[in-house]
Amino acid sequence: MREISYMEALREAIRQAMEKDDRVFMIGEDIGVYGGAFGVSAGLLDQFGPERIIDTPISEAGIAGACVGAAVTGMRPIGEIQFSDFVVLAMEQIVMQGAKMRFMFGGKATVPFVIRLPGGSGTGAAAQHSESLENWFVHVPGLKVVMPSTPYDAKGLLLAAIEEDNPVMFFEHKLLYKTKGHVPEEMYTIPIGKSNLVREGKDLTIIATSIMVPRAIEAAEKLSAEGIDIEIIDPRTLKPLDDQPIIASIIKTGKVLIVHEAVKTGGFGGEISAVISESEAFDYLDAPIRRLAGLDMPIPYNRTLEYHAVPQVEDIIEEARNLYQGKY
Amino acid sequence: MAKEIIMPKFGFTQEESEILEWLHAEGDRVEKGDPVAVVSTDKISMEVEAPEDGILGGIRYQVGDNVPVTNVIAYILQPGESAPEIALDEPESTKVELAVAEQRTEVQVTPVAKKLMDENKLELDEIISFAGESKITRATVEAYLSANSLARTGKIRATPAARRLGREHDLKLAAISGSGPKARIQAADVTQALSGQKKEAITPALQKKTLPLNNIRKTISRNMLQSWQEIPQMTLQADIPVSRLEAYRETLNQSISQKSKKITVTALITKAVAKALQKNPILNSQFDGDKIQLLDQINIGVATALDDGLIVPVVHQTDKKPIAAISDQIRYLSERARSGKLLPDDLSNGTFTISNLGMFEIDRFTAIINPPQSAILAVGKKNRVFMPAEDNSFHVEEIITFTLSADHRVMDGAQAARFMGDLKSILQNAEDL
Repeated sequence: MREISYMEALREAIRQAMEKDDRVFMIGEDIGVYGGAFGVSAGLLDQFGPERIIDTPISEAGIAGACVGAAVTGMRPIGEIQFSDFVVLAMEQIVMQGAKMRFMFGGKATVPFVIRLPGGSGTGAAAQHSESLENWFVHVPGLKVVMPSTPYDAKGLLLAAIEEDNPVMFFEHKLLYKTKGHVPEEMYTIPIGKSNLVREGKDLTIIATSIMVPRAIEAAEKLSAEGIDIEIIDPRTLKPLDDQPIIASIIKTGKVLIVHEAVKTGGFGGEISAVISESEAFDYLDAPIRRLAGLDMPIPYNRTLEYHAVPQVEDIIEEARNLYQGKY
Repeated sequence: MAKEIIMPKFGFTQEESEILEWLHAEGDRVEKGDPVAVVSTDKISMEVEAPEDGILGGIRYQVGDNVPVTNVIAYILQPGESAPEIALDEPESTKVELAVAEQRTEVQVTPVAKKLMDENKLELDEIISFAGESKITRATVEAYLSANSLARTGKIRATPAARRLGREHDLKLAAISGSGPKARIQAADVTQALSGQKKEAITPALQKKTLPLNNIRKTISRNMLQSWQEIPQMTLQADIPVSRLEAYRETLNQSISQKSKKITVTALITKAVAKALQKNPILNSQFDGDKIQLLDQINIGVATALDDGLIVPVVHQTDKKPIAAISDQIRYLSERARSGKLLPDDLSNGTFTISNLGMFEIDRFTAIINPPQSAILAVGKKNRVFMPAEDNSFHVEEIITFTLSADHRVMDGAQAARFMGDLKSILQNAEDL
């Protein structure tokens, strides 16, 4: 099967969706001639023209407002926030307007837009260009939050998000753009709200999102050499959360480590932890639920500090090993 | 001047005695001759008397201590006087206690550990005895707290999975020790406990309960081992009809109204054995290396079972005593034996032993010779059997099986057999006893 990058998978999804459906268009900063800050939209301007690949002034509120307005009037916009950090400027449109309209108008309006958000650290882009803000949106009723970790998931989830009649916050990771994987050429969707059992194991469950999924896989390979058999689940969609596979996995392994890049306090790991505690999996827990997450600090510019501010493969290995061996 | 009370030596081979009881406490006024302590020799209890008037003090051994003979066990003091200082050769336990007391001053406690101890109102002593270390850190205190969490909080530290397994299998977690962090009980601990339980049902683990040998037990084991290893013992068995003996006993007892005075079967057998020994003096003897000593008295010991061992009080000059006297004496001795009041004389100079397990429903058994004696007679229970006559008719007869164990160094089978034959005819002609 063909292998393409995460970035190419996203571009292919956008192209196929725009080819298939005239209502789909893209709007963002430098997405046209420049092809987007990370090159996702490269070449799309030539194919679809400036009316469907819309470059905007530097105004995230404008991008988001245009998406909300276009969506309620029948279009299916894809907004790109250049760095997910800048979404702070678009919060009013997304949270106050986009997320609530369908409910406030008693279902008479649908709000089918997707906001793509390149997030995460690891590029030396410092505190204002490296955040992982996905959990802010998990907290807002009316929004769906998606976080693909592979090229295959990126394409399938983006196509599903475009088809979705509710606003979808689509979190990409800067370090994943160049990762390659098998991606079918034809259009396909991965249902929103469906998790992925990445690796089967019996000793310990790791729940990882985004860039932490490949890191967890690498950690699991190394731990398997020590005889520790790790199961990995990628929720893929943070909201709505596909909780049953997580619960089933913990009933099997009795131990769970949640890994994400976003800072621990108030992060999505707390939500997963609470879901587990409230479920029947509680009675199968044989160790405390553990979270491995970003440190409670802005991402440092210094590359060494940046590296240590978020979980790395060796951190996952150590944490999982300790949890397995009861050293916590 | 303080007068020493020493552990008396009651017998030539005695090396130590156990203190069974202090009859007075320190500070009690006693008179010369007053018993101050009860001690145990090989088989019996003896009293230790105050050597002069005064006040008991300086008790140096506790109940249960085994004290070498002639060691000072306490003092008789005069008013205002105190017991002499402990001598250098005191038992080691005292030294250890002193050493521990000295060590305590050197215990190091880190400030964090101290704070944690204060917060939890912990005493240094309990932490030290828990950790057994001279440096107390936060980790020490935390380990102590978690190890004692059940006792301190009444709550069990266990994972939800462990609790669920406990519930499902109706297993109390309090009985399980946790292998997890801070002694937390994990699922594996419960599973292990459960598999242990199941195993138990098939092959119960061997549990040991230690019973220290008391002096009676020590003596019995020493004597029996010596007997078994050194004496070539032969055994001879005879079923002896006792119907006439029983009839004679009833006749005798008809004239005795007092129940406690009634003649027992044991008494009749003892008398019969004494008579048989008179005819066969070789069985009333001691083997003494290169010679055999025939004994001029017939002193038959009657084995008596106590809760904590076997004791053999002796009916002295058995052959010279009438049946009633023998019966009374056996009853008297066994009562004293059961109440622990036998005197050394009651146990000494036995020349032959009778062991009767008839009352335990034993048909027949073999006894081990009680050295330095040469023979022992084991008596079984009375059984009813069909006894054929010459003309092949039969009648019901009561019999007792007697088993003689005899020292083959002293006698041969024929001599032992003659004794048994004589015993049989004596018992069958009980009226002549």
